Amino acid sequence: MDLDSLKKLIADISSNAKSSFEAALTETDLEDKFRSFLGKKGEVNLLLKSLGSLPQDKRKDAGLLLNGLKVELENYYTSASQSLIFKASEERIKKDKLDVTLPGFQGYKGSFHPVTQTIKDITSFFERMGFNVETGPEAEVDYYNFEALNVPEDHPAKDMHDTFYLSNSGLLRTHTSPVQIRTMEKSKPPHRMICPGKVYRKDSDLTHTPMFHQIEGLVVEEDASFAQLKGLLNDFLEDFFGEKVELRFRPSYFPFTEPSAEVDIRWKKNWLEVLGCGLVHPNVLEAVGVDTKNYSGFAFGLGVERMAMLKYDIPDLRAFFENDLRFLKQF
Amino acid sequence: MQFSKNWLKDFIDLDLSTEEICYQLTMAGIEVDNFENVKSAITGNDAIIKLDITPNRGDCFSILGVARELAILNNLKLKLPKIAKLKSTYQDTISVNACAEGPVYFGRTVKDFDMNAVTLPHIAERLTLSDQKLIDPVVDITNYIILELGQPLHAFDRDKLNGDISVRLAKKDESITLLDDQTLNLDASCLVISDEKEAVAFAGVMGGKDSSVTSSTSSIFLESAYFKPSVIRGKARKFGFQTEASLRFERGVDYTIQEFALNRATDLLNQTIGGEIGSVISDTLIKELPNHKKINIDIDRTNKILGTTISTNSAIKYFKGLGLSPEATKSGKISVSSPPWRYDINIEADLVEELARLEGYDSLPEESLLPIYKRENISKENHLRNSLVSLGFNEIVSYAFISQEDHNLYGQDQKTLNVSNPISQNMSVMRTNLVSGLINTFLYNLNHGQNNQRLFEIGNTFHIDKSNNVSEKKLVAGLMSGKKSSDNWKEKFDNLTFYDLKGLVQDLLSDFSQPNSYSLCNVDFLHPGMSSAISFEKKTIGFLGSIHPVVLNKVGVKDDLFIFSFELDKLIFESSKSFEEYSKFPSSARDLAFVFDKEVNADEIKEVIQNSAGEFYKDLEIFDIYEGERIDAGKKSIALSISWQSSSKTLLDGDIDTAVEKIVNSIKKELDGTLRT
Repeated sequence: MDLDSLKKLIADISSNAKSSFEAALTETDLEDKFRSFLGKKGEVNLLLKSLGSLPQDKRKDAGLLLNGLKVELENYYTSASQSLIFKASEERIKKDKLDVTLPGFQGYKGSFHPVTQTIKDITSFFERMGFNVETGPEAEVDYYNFEALNVPEDHPAKDMHDTFYLSNSGLLRTHTSPVQIRTMEKSKPPHRMICPGKVYRKDSDLTHTPMFHQIEGLVVEEDASFAQLKGLLNDFLEDFFGEKVELRFRPSYFPFTEPSAEVDIRWKKNWLEVLGCGLVHPNVLEAVGVDTKNYSGFAFGLGVERMAMLKYDIPDLRAFFENDLRFLKQF
Repeated sequence: MQFSKNWLKDFIDLDLSTEEICYQLTMAGIEVDNFENVKSAITGNDAIIKLDITPNRGDCFSILGVARELAILNNLKLKLPKIAKLKSTYQDTISVNACAEGPVYFGRTVKDFDMNAVTLPHIAERLTLSDQKLIDPVVDITNYIILELGQPLHAFDRDKLNGDISVRLAKKDESITLLDDQTLNLDASCLVISDEKEAVAFAGVMGGKDSSVTSSTSSIFLESAYFKPSVIRGKARKFGFQTEASLRFERGVDYTIQEFALNRATDLLNQTIGGEIGSVISDTLIKELPNHKKINIDIDRTNKILGTTISTNSAIKYFKGLGLSPEATKSGKISVSSPPWRYDINIEADLVEELARLEGYDSLPEESLLPIYKRENISKENHLRNSLVSLGFNEIVSYAFISQEDHNLYGQDQKTLNVSNPISQNMSVMRTNLVSGLINTFLYNLNHGQNNQRLFEIGNTFHIDKSNNVSEKKLVAGLMSGKKSSDNWKEKFDNLTFYDLKGLVQDLLSDFSQPNSYSLCNVDFLHPGMSSAISFEKKTIGFLGSIHPVVLNKVGVKDDLFIFSFELDKLIFESSKSFEEYSKFPSSARDLAFVFDKEVNADEIKEVIQNSAGEFYKDLEIFDIYEGERIDAGKKSIALSISWQSSSKTLLDGDIDTAVEKIVNSIKKELDGTLRT
């Protein structure tokens, strides 16, 4: 054998190996084929053994040629292997193809009741303003619900609240204001507090349920003013509705505030009453020992369901307590 | 109060549209409920205006009062109706006696009038527009005066009165039958008008039947009196009704208007039915009249509170308009005294409101309240609420009052706090737990085709002890029904089991610091074998379980219904968490299976293993429970995986073998359990 015939042999082996590798159908097949060329008993090794017949001075060149062949075959192998992997992936992709528009496997979806959601939204604003969230009993006594709030026995203002009385001679609170009194009794001013909770009035028709939720707020500070009350409620309503709302303050009457105001917002062209507020009546502050020479206060209260009805466009108040899942799951 | 707009024109020269009038009144605190433009046969264009008058503004319960407000707001002069000179043709023979509670009493007799006369057309029209039924000229005119001047009048049949008239407190057990035929048993806190024989009227509320004017009446005695608000307050309401008169007296009427009102009524009566007019007889106890003290207002302080810049002069002008007779004091304040028609001006704050009101609330300045930093405090309640919603629960809010039947079913014989005046019997018992709300909501939604439900509620329950002390607890409770997860086009799920419920509660409570434990409980509406008490440090804080089959049957539910409930206040948030180093050495585990008597429970096994597994014991997991053919009846096999780990070394097989041997021995000794090989 001479170098030329070796070269020719190498070229043949190379081209055979290339087509053989490319024809492999599986990785194992490819491995087998690889071994038939580069294994111990493979064609390349056989050729190597036959190099002994070459003259001494040609052997080095022959060695180089064979090494080149090895590298070439290894490259063929790698590329064939990659193409096999690619093909296999292609097939897997083809096989696995899904209808992605079919529904996913969902579990049960929970929901917050719109009342508690609304309470959360409202308290979140006031907490950011530095108000504490306070709570108190729902089964109250006359003193905290009326007397301490400047509503004496037999006062016509009691007509504004149709009260549920209890078998223990107590009553169900008609507003969350008793919490203000209880909080002021517990600690000294300044106060910034908000009290969300259930309240009860003996009233049941299209626009009234015998139980509903209120949030009341109270600020007692050295310079608490009507101007701040107006500013705070303006900011709050903007925060709650997510946009500026037009509002107006008009005089009203609550026994525990003086001056008292009702706040209306412009809603679909009409004025709608949403909040009651005012400067805390001196009698209320004095009854809990607040020094009215140095401190003044303002308070406000709103109905949670009413706010939720506006925000979520809920037409019927009674839906809140029917607890129909078709209603609840919307929130 | 409802009235005709044109009536106002008798008192003020008002040239405003109905809309403008309503706007002005609303913005001055006299809320207009609604108005309606109407045509009047007599005056042309008119409007019906309906007011919602707040309890403090009794003075606005009349045309006069409303006109007075509008006069102040528009700088107009207030005119009073002109009264013709009335000639009395005879001296009355009876006398009247006022008393401390009713210190002003005016009366007059009119007799020999035209029984067939009809009410004057303009009066009839105004009454109709004001939602008053027309009765007869006498009643119509008293109704007209109460609307016009706010002064309630009463007409007696003069011939049915016996002797002198007195205002006095009722005697004990005195009873009276009123015009509307109801008989009331009065007590000594009620004021009556009495003749020499008996009570003839419930003063300030309603006249008596026996002395009432009828079609055969030929002589009437007209009463125009003032009764103190405190003696009228709550009286009619106590008997369950309210009248136009009591509404006004309890809020306070002008105590100087009685004679004018009597004359006005007499004049109108004279124009309508004619007749002979008797002399005015009266009694007034001046020292018993309301004592309006002088009130001082500090304008500087007022401006500070309101954020305004009202000058002393303009404040004086406002107060003059309101009839408050203001005077500037030497100390720079303004001193005022309330007019006889206002009962709501008693302290400085009341004057501040008047100024704010007249300035217009809307024009008062506005200033943002500055926030104050406060540490955020996530409440346990919100935490649990968020967890439950993440776990697929829908939050409900149910009424805190339930029916007696529901309490009997779910209330565990607890003593209840009841509503004395419930809206219906179904809402008369204050709930002692949240179960009935959950189950009734479940039933409601089941009827609407919802089988898989997960509901929860967080709310207060009410408890009363033997000495009638009331306490409230805040509970967290939930209900689960149906399948473990929602079926889909590929997989169908099994129904929930007790252990799904328990796992959920364990997950919920894992964020709180106390270890919790579960043991059988006796909650009578729960399945006795599928329910458990939830305890923290041996104190029961709630329960979980499947509803008792008998109860399920009663409410018409076939499948298991799972409920949990626990007290929120008994949970303690893990206040601060600190990192605990974990071992760098591998843990070793052994799987062991024991055969036990069926009654042996997992907690007992766990306790024995924990106590015998040695210092490197780490954890235990039950991975299989078997009962059946391959073991004896009455026995069960429990397969456990027990693991050990050291923080300082790799454990050797020998360490574990020793521990396993101890466990096997203890299980045998304490629970009679045998190792399955």
